[in-house]
Amino acid sequence: MIAGAYALVQEIAKESIAISLAAPAIALLLIAVVKEKFSRAVGVASTGIVLAVSLFLLAYLYAGHSIAISTSIPFISSLNINFEMGINPISFALFMMSSIVLFATSFAGNVHRTRQKATQFLIVLFQLASAGLFLSLNLFIFFIFWDIGVIAMFFFINSLGSESRKSAAMKFLIYEILASSMLLFGILMIYFYTPVHSFSISKIIANSGLIPIGEQAVIFASLFIAFIINMPVFPFHLWLPDAHTEAPTQGSMLLSGILTKFGGFGVILLFEMLPISRMFGNYIAALAVVSAFYSVLVLMRQDDIKRIIAYSTITEMAIVLFGISEFSNFGLYGSVYAMLSHGLLIAMLFLGAGSIEVIFNTRNIHILKGIVKNAGLVAYSMLAGIFIMLGIPLSSAFIADLLIFIGAVSAFGLAGLAPLLALLLVGAFLYLVISRSFMSTGKYTRAVGSIGADQRLAFCVLLFFIFLFGAFPFIMLGVFKI
Amino acid sequence: MGNTMAINTINNISYILLILVAMIFAFSVSFSLIRNKRAKFLQLAVLLALLAAASGWLFLANANAVLLNLFHIYSFSLLFTCLFSILFILILVLSYDSEADYFYTIIGIIATGAMIVPMAGSLITLFLALEITSVATSFAIMTKNKVHLEAAMKMFILSAVSISIFSFAMVLVFPYSPQLALAGLASNSAVAGNYLIELGIALFIAALGFEAAAFPFNLWIPDVYQGARANLTAMVSGINKKIGFVAMMLVLFIVFAQYAWFFSGIIAMLSLATMFFGNLVAMAQQNVKRMLAYSSISQAGYIMIGIAAASGLGLEASIFQIIAHAFMIIGAFAFVFWLESQYGMNTISDYDGLTQRNMFAGIGLSIIMLSLIGIPPLLGFYGKFLLFSSALGAKMAALAFLGIINSFISVYYYGRLMVAMHRKTNKKHILISRNTAIVAGVCIFVIVGIGLYPEFLMQAASIAARALL
Repeated sequence: MIAGAYALVQEIAKESIAISLAAPAIALLLIAVVKEKFSRAVGVASTGIVLAVSLFLLAYLYAGHSIAISTSIPFISSLNINFEMGINPISFALFMMSSIVLFATSFAGNVHRTRQKATQFLIVLFQLASAGLFLSLNLFIFFIFWDIGVIAMFFFINSLGSESRKSAAMKFLIYEILASSMLLFGILMIYFYTPVHSFSISKIIANSGLIPIGEQAVIFASLFIAFIINMPVFPFHLWLPDAHTEAPTQGSMLLSGILTKFGGFGVILLFEMLPISRMFGNYIAALAVVSAFYSVLVLMRQDDIKRIIAYSTITEMAIVLFGISEFSNFGLYGSVYAMLSHGLLIAMLFLGAGSIEVIFNTRNIHILKGIVKNAGLVAYSMLAGIFIMLGIPLSSAFIADLLIFIGAVSAFGLAGLAPLLALLLVGAFLYLVISRSFMSTGKYTRAVGSIGADQRLAFCVLLFFIFLFGAFPFIMLGVFKI
Repeated sequence: MGNTMAINTINNISYILLILVAMIFAFSVSFSLIRNKRAKFLQLAVLLALLAAASGWLFLANANAVLLNLFHIYSFSLLFTCLFSILFILILVLSYDSEADYFYTIIGIIATGAMIVPMAGSLITLFLALEITSVATSFAIMTKNKVHLEAAMKMFILSAVSISIFSFAMVLVFPYSPQLALAGLASNSAVAGNYLIELGIALFIAALGFEAAAFPFNLWIPDVYQGARANLTAMVSGINKKIGFVAMMLVLFIVFAQYAWFFSGIIAMLSLATMFFGNLVAMAQQNVKRMLAYSSISQAGYIMIGIAAASGLGLEASIFQIIAHAFMIIGAFAFVFWLESQYGMNTISDYDGLTQRNMFAGIGLSIIMLSLIGIPPLLGFYGKFLLFSSALGAKMAALAFLGIINSFISVYYYGRLMVAMHRKTNKKHILISRNTAIVAGVCIFVIVGIGLYPEFLMQAASIAARALL
């Protein structure tokens, strides 16, 4: 009996990759044919199944099982391209985060409850892209899923966005296609200049030392630009605030929650693949610090809640880049933890911003007064979110910052603590916002709409996981084996 | 022994293609005696379908037959005969409702020429087939009413220029092999490398550049595309231009195979200029047909990357992209044709809110635009992927990089159309005719279907490329 159950567990673990790709693929076809009112059920089922799979995998991996789950199917055999998928600790953490965010988005993200079918179709398409991207072990497959994700996000902004979305959608498309063009050039260069002629990441890591140094620099430049456009890092960040302003709530949740992590994940892969990247470590760290401070300074001039949160994304991703550029285990896993934490947090904050817009019909912090009276849960969740962003203990952000800055001190000395100041400034400004508009007393903005039980549940789900990974860090750290 | 006999049988069967092409010609001439439009359509469509089936089967059977040094039927020509037959059927379906009776005669003659080009075994055959196609095409554009006269005239004059340059180039290589058979010329001209041959190569490139719309021989394209009816624009961009590339590959890779070092550089420069010209000018266009015209110029530039690479992978990539672009552009023009002729939609702002007015048109056209940008997993991506790979494989990293930059530039104008199509509107609903829906549906099915499993078409392109080299 027990042996049978154990065999079943093994079987599910083995098929987990297939399930997490097949569920959205089937859901896509289903949503295309079912009626509008059933589409949400299909979307929630698809994201729910994958969330269940990832929680199962979390338990499975935490129980100490081997992590070597991988599959390889020939895709284009004439060019030696295989459909290689696999799970490793880093990709698992991001996969876990994406499945939670996607689940929350699919049942609560559509705050306005309009155009359900298009919303769910795009969410499921994005789910397919993110699962495929985080689990791919082949740069060609990585590229394909990257572009699917970008296009799904483009249609979020372009089809479901606000009235004045035209230029934001265009800006997003131009920046992101520039990123994917650079990515394509980089991976083609890798393919032709590694002696094995392969897109397989493991083979590239084994052979990348043989690429001539000049070509390595070209590859590094093109891939690095591609990834920091996507993250985004100063000076390539201009698309993000506009995209967020015009995107619908569900689009913003996925955009900052998951799409920006594509770039972070890419930078980790890049640093793993190319030995030359160690040479640029300090410069990249400096760029990250500049980006962090720049975004904080711009953030202080904003009065739209969504733009404020958007700029805080740039700050957070700069700290992620800073962590990766330390080239230590602390920095690397700290960055992964930061991405895990930030994905959950930012999805919750954007859900809050969307809810505020629905309830009060404005997102301007100068107009909003005392919203804690009419939208208590939203205001307190946002408040919690700001404290989490500052990295209070028991939240996942605390663990992330702890790991990153321990690594930073050993890599750069005390100067490594500089980005903490940026974080502090974000927190101070957001505290001002909260105290002036959210928690102020005396004047109260009148509520014109309301949010449903599903949005309330989504706040709870996201906060639950943030504190789960914060209060019990050993779960994820056990998966990382550090 | 039995094996040899089987191969001989297959090679003998392959002459059936020539009989079918001759039948298309004969039928289309006799169409002037028939009044029933439906009968003409069916006769031509059935013949083309037979041709597609026969050449597809022979391609799989690996046929290789030479007739009188005038025709050479082998994998390369079979793949393109099959492709062109399918494309002509699509054009016939698209034009069924709107064209007059004599249209079928002209289209039959164009098809005859188009089928012979890939089968050409000598420069004479190539010359005649190209001329039949281009002259008949200008007649096709001219008929129906006088509005299209200017476009037809431009096409006619430029094809005349192209043909005259082609004949001068033929004169230059004539001394090396008076038969003008492609294979014979190859062995003779290789020995005597001199400036006459190099001038000949340059002139051939110029002549065929007119057909294929390479910079700087592409100035007729936008006017003709805009001036012609959109179903014919679909044909010019989907078939006529591709014939130019097929002819270019035949001449360069059979006759002048030894001169790859010489033409590779020329083609690379032309390819860069074509891409930049097409993309930069397309960005400024407001008219959708003109925008697609310039975009197809830039696509011609991409196709030439593969020819410049002058390798097996390069040819495979070019062949793949020719097939991919034919389906993409015919699908795009199928929509444009219907929207223009029935609803008078010309400019990008006319396309505002297309998705809301007709779901199929909006989403279908978006998929085609994404494929033209080169977004995976759609057909257009694999074409570009192979092309840029081939450039890198031939150590032309700069060409690959500039190609990718061009692919990025193109996102601006394709994206602008997509952004417009998905805006909100309160204009009336649009109906799409059955024929347009069938043609666009087939094209989108090919774009998505082969996009999900590209290996099949890559293998076919690779077999054709290896047959040519």
